[in-house]
Amino acid sequence: MILSGTFTFEGPRARVWEILQDPDVLAKALPGTKTLTRVGDDRYQGVMKVSVGPVNAAEFAIDVELKDKVEPEAFAMQIEGKGSVGFTKGAATIALQEQPGPVTVMTYTSDVQIGGRIAAVGQRLLESVGKMMAKQALEALNKELKARLNP
Amino acid sequence: MPADPPYLRARVPRNEDARLLTGRALFVDDVQLPGMLHVAFVRSEHAHGRVTRVDAAAARARPGVRAVFTAADLGAYLKPGPILVPPPPIPNLVFNPCTQLPLATGKVRHAGEPIAMVVADSRYIAEDAIRDVVVDIDPIEAVVDLEKALAPGAPLIHEHLGSNVAAHVLQRKGDYAAAKKNADLIVRRRFHYDRGVSAPIENRAVAVDWNAKSEEMTIWDTTQAPIPIRNGLAAMLGLLQSQVNVIAPFVGGGFGPKIMMFYPEEVLLPWAAMRLNRPLKWTEDRQENFYATTQERGQVHDAEMALTRDGRILGVHDVFLFDTGAYDPYGLTIPINSQCTLLGPYDIPSYESEFTAVFTNKTIVTPVRGAGRQHGVFVSERLLDLSARELAIDRVEIRRRNLLAPDRFPVNHEIMFQDSAPLVYDSGDYLPALDQAAAIIGYDTFVREEQPKLRAAGRRVGIGVVCYVEGTGIGPYEGARVTVEPSGKVRCATGVGTQGQGHFTVFAQLVADVLGVDVEDVRVVTGDTREFHWGTGTFASRGAVVAGSACHAAATAVREKVVALASSVLNVPRERLELEGGRVFDRDARDRGISLGELSGKANPLRGAVRPGTEPGLEATAYFGPDRGSTASGVHAMIVEVDPETAMVEIKRYLVVHDCGTIINPMIVEGQIHGGVAQGIGNAFYEQLVYDDQGQLLNASFMDYLIPTATDVPPIETAHRETPSPYNPVGLKGVGEAGCIPTGALFAQAVEDALAGTGVEITEIPLSPNRLFELIEAARK
Repeated sequence: MILSGTFTFEGPRARVWEILQDPDVLAKALPGTKTLTRVGDDRYQGVMKVSVGPVNAAEFAIDVELKDKVEPEAFAMQIEGKGSVGFTKGAATIALQEQPGPVTVMTYTSDVQIGGRIAAVGQRLLESVGKMMAKQALEALNKELKARLNP
Repeated sequence: MPADPPYLRARVPRNEDARLLTGRALFVDDVQLPGMLHVAFVRSEHAHGRVTRVDAAAARARPGVRAVFTAADLGAYLKPGPILVPPPPIPNLVFNPCTQLPLATGKVRHAGEPIAMVVADSRYIAEDAIRDVVVDIDPIEAVVDLEKALAPGAPLIHEHLGSNVAAHVLQRKGDYAAAKKNADLIVRRRFHYDRGVSAPIENRAVAVDWNAKSEEMTIWDTTQAPIPIRNGLAAMLGLLQSQVNVIAPFVGGGFGPKIMMFYPEEVLLPWAAMRLNRPLKWTEDRQENFYATTQERGQVHDAEMALTRDGRILGVHDVFLFDTGAYDPYGLTIPINSQCTLLGPYDIPSYESEFTAVFTNKTIVTPVRGAGRQHGVFVSERLLDLSARELAIDRVEIRRRNLLAPDRFPVNHEIMFQDSAPLVYDSGDYLPALDQAAAIIGYDTFVREEQPKLRAAGRRVGIGVVCYVEGTGIGPYEGARVTVEPSGKVRCATGVGTQGQGHFTVFAQLVADVLGVDVEDVRVVTGDTREFHWGTGTFASRGAVVAGSACHAAATAVREKVVALASSVLNVPRERLELEGGRVFDRDARDRGISLGELSGKANPLRGAVRPGTEPGLEATAYFGPDRGSTASGVHAMIVEVDPETAMVEIKRYLVVHDCGTIINPMIVEGQIHGGVAQGIGNAFYEQLVYDDQGQLLNASFMDYLIPTATDVPPIETAHRETPSPYNPVGLKGVGEAGCIPTGALFAQAVEDALAGTGVEITEIPLSPNRLFELIEAARK
């Protein structure tokens, strides 16, 4: 499954970068995230709950590694998830571009492979669930950004 | 049998329906035993990979879990399953047998392959516990596409083979190269024909009761082959065959995958029941059925037909790939069926057919209703349609010109069939069936008058007419025991499994006619090895032909005993005795007779002697084994309308003219045909297994995998013809698969006709509204 898109953050790029590297913020922003902790340099582990169609609130142990960091312009992620209803494995690249405002335009693309039960019964819905989760996460991050800029 | 048997060809209501319709029929999941434990399986999520760790410690610690078994726990019991059907003796045949372990170790080769077995107090606990089992798999690139599987450098599924080739077979008849030289027209195309799951209403299930005190095991299994299952499991478990009893009670649909032996689950439950000394049960859920029960899938044919200018076939050349899935326990039955059935009812003097069976990281392929015959019929019927268009010959007419004439039988096609006997058609009368189908559907009028009018009004209507044959009723044998009881009721025990075909009625009809009793007084028992333990199973449309003939033979032997004893009891010469109404009597003095029940008492006296050379009771056992199968045939025709906006196909009429030899019960024959056509329509227009490039099945539920519902299946018209088979006394041929074999070919022809003028050519099945829309759009460009 390939998910890609752009999103505009209402703030400067350096501040966007900052929140994207903060596991506590990400844990709050990513829908269904129960825990997310830094376990090493650029390495995070946690537990997410995902609902896709008939698969309800399935828990995934996730392992995220940040790579190819070019602060504050771009980074890549290696993602692995494993749960009782399936697995997920993939990569994402994220680029940030500052524009007048200042606002920051994020361009993201990810290619994620999904297998096991969740793929077998939820396939039709995976893409829309993925898109919805990305949108919710980005909006939550933007809200956090705005809160930090105007405390 | 009397000259005018009352039950043969009669629409006798089914003996089993009262039990089925009022919920009194036993299915495996109904089996409840004191102390029974429940089983669930941990299955591979990856289609291809190395298993690096299986850790069941957490699952074993969960309250209510009684045991967790992994491959490492099975010891010497961990052995690959048998090859069920050895390949026929074809020169230069290559066959690489690779069968599955009951629990995977080392490698997994398809998603859904079992890795561990959890036994718990309830299924709920077992399902929770399978999530406690930690399985680490290092994924390997999956082999999904047939052609990529054979490309150099493709990942290997069975490394020791050095390639993904499961088999290679070349069969020849006549001299195709010469035929090609003499041909006026060569039509060549690539065809794709995919199939799907069997989708029975009842999934698989196994329940086991090991009685340690009597050292006997009872296994309830949704199998189509209870006797071979018993024999195989007894050998694996180190028990005598007589210590194991397998019961295949009522089964909610077989369709082929339930003839597969031995599924990991049915191997593991008996072993675990002995080890734990507790009754066990496992019932497959629908999702498991999608990847743990065998299915049928795709073939890719590169085929050509050589013809004369007047539409006579000189020869056919076909090279195809066959997807056998991760293992090949069922040998070559499906591709050989495709290869043989391609010849159809036609006089094809030369034929060259070569196939390669290919391993892929997908669920194992074994026969599903039709068993590869669809693929062959699709190729030959499409080639005929395309040839007819090229030669400007009518589609029905080109078939008429090529049908085998009745004086040609028996027809020897000089190639080997799936039963390791040469492909010989015993009998057939094809032209009248084609003419009858064309007449009933009104082919000429439709093509000349109705269709042009409707087309002028902008409606896309089309008609199709296709022919097929079906090899049915193959050996080796079945048996039956018929007993007249003192109550006058008759018991008929046979070995084949039963999955809704109406065995309880058709076998009873055959016996009732021979013994002159009421059909409702014949109680048929089948699928219970303690009742009858010789036989093979229900497959290849053979139940009525082979087991039916055995029931007939056993009843005939009992009739001889009845006549012999009655002659001495009544003091009437044998030739004057008749059997009717449950009595045997003097036809010249009908009052002088005795009921069969009373006679059976005299045959089993409490005092006195059973004379030397006779046996007690009115009972006989008989077997029937035909040298080769009998060939059924038929013609399907349909009228469709395609919505040009949505590409939805509406079936306006569907007609089946079929010939299954002597008909025992027309209502049951029609039921078989209706069900088959419904499955065929699913194959043609609804059903498709969608795998991604990593071998993940993406539509393993009925939300996404569409099967036709009652509203999608039109009323089906039928006409019966009878060309009796010379290979059995009643003249029977099978009919179980006839409904679904030509449906894809018919759909393609009728839809293509409806879209005439758009340039759409259909060379693939399944279609769907979406796929058809794509084809229409592609043709427009």
